[in-house]
Amino acid sequence: MSKDGSAMIYPSLLAEAVKWARKNSLWPMPYGTSCCGIELMSTLSSTYDLSRFGAEVVRFSPRQADMLIVAGTITTKMAPVLRSIYEQILEPKWVISMGACASSGNGIFDTYSVLPGIDEIIPVDVYVPGCPPIPEGLIHAILHLQKVIEKNIERTPAVKPTYEDAMNAMTYSKCAQAAVVKSAYIVTKDGVAQNPAGQNPIDCNLGGNQNGKCCC
Amino acid sequence: MGNAVAKNAEFVKRQAIATARIQEKFSEGRQFLTDALGEPILWAKSLMDAFDLIQLLRADDVLKFDFLSDITAYDNVDGKDGAKRFVMVYQILSTTTHVRLRLKLAVDLGEEPTSWTSLWPGANWLEREVFDMYGIKFKGHPNLRRILMDERFVGHPLRKEYPLKQRQPFPDNVPLHLGPHPLPTKNT
Repeated sequence: MSKDGSAMIYPSLLAEAVKWARKNSLWPMPYGTSCCGIELMSTLSSTYDLSRFGAEVVRFSPRQADMLIVAGTITTKMAPVLRSIYEQILEPKWVISMGACASSGNGIFDTYSVLPGIDEIIPVDVYVPGCPPIPEGLIHAILHLQKVIEKNIERTPAVKPTYEDAMNAMTYSKCAQAAVVKSAYIVTKDGVAQNPAGQNPIDCNLGGNQNGKCCC
Repeated sequence: MGNAVAKNAEFVKRQAIATARIQEKFSEGRQFLTDALGEPILWAKSLMDAFDLIQLLRADDVLKFDFLSDITAYDNVDGKDGAKRFVMVYQILSTTTHVRLRLKLAVDLGEEPTSWTSLWPGANWLEREVFDMYGIKFKGHPNLRRILMDERFVGHPLRKEYPLKQRQPFPDNVPLHLGPHPLPTKNT
């Protein structure tokens, strides 16, 4: 606004400006329950310096935060606490699931007391793989989140592989892998998750099978 | 024995004295063993015997067991350690000689060992944990309720019959309270 009250910023540009401001001031609310929390601290401190990306103002009150970083194992007893903290964050809010425990419950903790991934109770925007992820992984997640905010990308639910898919992914059978790839989303360079319908990236016919059927 | 503790000659001497003392004075009619590190293991004869035995061990001038490290248990469902279902394990330490003793006690389903809270107040939470995980009840415990799992949790998760991946999620948490076991009913 100028001094005489006439608008200098057009409304269409205002939305862009708000978007720009939001993506460059993602104040995190850390929810570190285990070793990923240590890696989160390392990311915030001087060597990696998360403040370069505008996400340095750690708020321990959910009402002042924009982004929830869940770093660590969430037990079933902790789940209601996490849920209530998520509900206290004001809109717009984003969630980063940091590490294997928060994303999937981590295979080694697949027991009666551990939640199989926080997306059972709250929506998640970005998953960071690793046990724990390196600080660059978290920085990449925040850069990806900035891209998501900038381009208004819809939040897509995670595609969780079944037990058979996970076992097949560990084998060297190309056909078994093909079955997995067929059901999975592919992330393009823009960071958009896409599911190429009917496309099968791995061609079973290359395996020397004359019938055109799958070799397994 | 490549262990750093075992290399300590002073300690090995003290441990040998304590082991000899236990064997001479307390192993009558009880099973007495030593593990790979030379730590003594003593099996109590019965539920009442364990409580009497620990009082004698505690009062002994040579052993000077004055510290309760841990109380735990394991499920003896395959019957490797006797016919009874559970085995309680008490880890006791002497803070003057640094010698440890492992006291074991076989407990069957429905049997109630005596609580050690009168001897060591720290046994309170340790026994609550054993109750939570295995469902062993302690006679004379002041506040025997679950400590780790939710109070509405059904079953005892470290028993072998409990399905490993059976989760019991609840939409809210029971508010912290110091009262006795049936939890206060919700008014709202």
